Amino acid sequence: MTSTTMTHPVLTASANSQATFTGIPFGRLVRVEWGKATDTRAARWLLIAVAASTVALVLAPLLSPSSIDQSYTSYLGFAAVALSILLPVVSILTLTSEWSQRTALATFTQEPRRMRVVTAKIAVSLMLGATAAVFGGLVTAAGLGVAAASGRTLDANLTAGLLAAFLLYVVLNVMTGVALGALVHNSAAAIVASFVLSIGFGLLGRASQLVAEWLDYSTTFTWLLNGQWAGHTAQILVSVFLWVAIPLAAGLFRTVRREIS
Amino acid sequence: MITATALTKSYGHTRVVSDLSLHCEPGTITGFLGPNGAGKSTTLKMIVGLSRPDHGTSTVGGHPFGDLPNPTRVVGTLLDASAMHAGRTGRATLSIAARMAGVPTARVDELLDRVGLSDAADRRVGGYSLGMRQRLGIAQTLVGDPQVLILDEPANGLDPEGIAWMRGLLRDFADQGGTVLLSSHLLHEVQATVDNLVVISQGTAVASGRLTELLASSSLLLRTPDPEDLARALRADRIDYQPGPDQTFTVDVLGGRVTPEIVARVALQQQVLLTELRPSDSGGLEQLFFSLTADKTAQPQEAAA
Repeated sequence: MTSTTMTHPVLTASANSQATFTGIPFGRLVRVEWGKATDTRAARWLLIAVAASTVALVLAPLLSPSSIDQSYTSYLGFAAVALSILLPVVSILTLTSEWSQRTALATFTQEPRRMRVVTAKIAVSLMLGATAAVFGGLVTAAGLGVAAASGRTLDANLTAGLLAAFLLYVVLNVMTGVALGALVHNSAAAIVASFVLSIGFGLLGRASQLVAEWLDYSTTFTWLLNGQWAGHTAQILVSVFLWVAIPLAAGLFRTVRREIS
Repeated sequence: MITATALTKSYGHTRVVSDLSLHCEPGTITGFLGPNGAGKSTTLKMIVGLSRPDHGTSTVGGHPFGDLPNPTRVVGTLLDASAMHAGRTGRATLSIAARMAGVPTARVDELLDRVGLSDAADRRVGGYSLGMRQRLGIAQTLVGDPQVLILDEPANGLDPEGIAWMRGLLRDFADQGGTVLLSSHLLHEVQATVDNLVVISQGTAVASGRLTELLASSSLLLRTPDPEDLARALRADRIDYQPGPDQTFTVDVLGGRVTPEIVARVALQQQVLLTELRPSDSGGLEQLFFSLTADKTAQPQEAAA
């Protein structure tokens, strides 16, 4: 390997010239972005908070058997809600930290095809989302196990379809964060926007049924989580389009075009 | 090799870079010199694809930057040493660069050692001084074993020892055939480092060429206790002169046709005593650069007045 002797800039054809003209494989970009999303103290604390909040919320049905429905889907629903709160923040930071920390300057000189970098970040967010969903499933199973061991009767109402809906629910919540992070390049602004928009549309939804049923994604995503596609398919699709597809497309466009300073 | 041709860039109605061209050959260090806000950073960003020029093109190693499949294998870029993730350690920062370049991570330790950061490697960059970040940034540029380095104000935050270290490192790099383009707003900072110079003011290249030629004084300064005799002697030999204060004269070298030796012989033949004979202080480049810097700082004062 000539590349280990760093005192020799490459002037003649050498082992390096091969690497010079080989692009960065996408798998490598994903591994690098996975590392970036998880290697800082802040990122680790946030992931710990996601895990802790999931455990905490699944404790709710476990500790209140009289007031909360004792069924598989009820327990899983608490895990889903827990993941929908903080996981989008993880995705937002995965996308925005390049701008907030100004590492975009280095990153996009390492790979000038910005779309590839952002795609790798989206892949990492989805992987983190899927991992969190599996974790949520395991916590739910543990909660149900404890409930069963304490002699409660549980309604085993979970189907493969509802399990898939749970995964989709988590992934879509992740994607709302991804889309917002891709569009709003400032961490604090994007996080605030994510909470303000979700609470704001929830409140508007109380005043207007139209808003609640078509624009408030917490309502439409809950239908999706509960497998209530019948009569809501169009509303679910519209909200996905509005909260994921449009901001993501605009965000990708902005990221590719943006002047970096 | 770096080539930029007629780069032009405006932000809104403000023209930041105007028809700027430069060319850097392997084996040389080129200083890109200009006052703050002259358009240096914008130019460098256009060369590395972070900013889109309105007109003009540039290549690094013969290719447009955006066409390089794995750019860090060809060109190491350091545009702002303070633009690093504060929460990441020095080692983690370099590891990311090494993985992107596809070089063995063993190189990370080697580079940390080379830039003198081995002891601080596992501390978070947020706790680094600017000088340490410059060193880490330099290590980052070297990760992919590139042939070209592009550095924006690399001496910022370095102590004199650090500047000397960087000077040696860049000289070695160029001596082994590498191409270096570095920017600075301080002439004396780059004077000892660079071979070539491009001076930029308000987005336009106002001077470029070999440092020695640009620094060469365009006139000689003479001093004599007998100014009238000297004036007569110079006139007799048809050498144009400008009388100055304190019995001095300035004589244009006319691109080398008038040398100190010629002037000394004239004085000797006419038996005029010279007490001083040297290139004049107001050398072209220094004068030019100071006037540029002065313009730049004078404007806001006028506006405020």
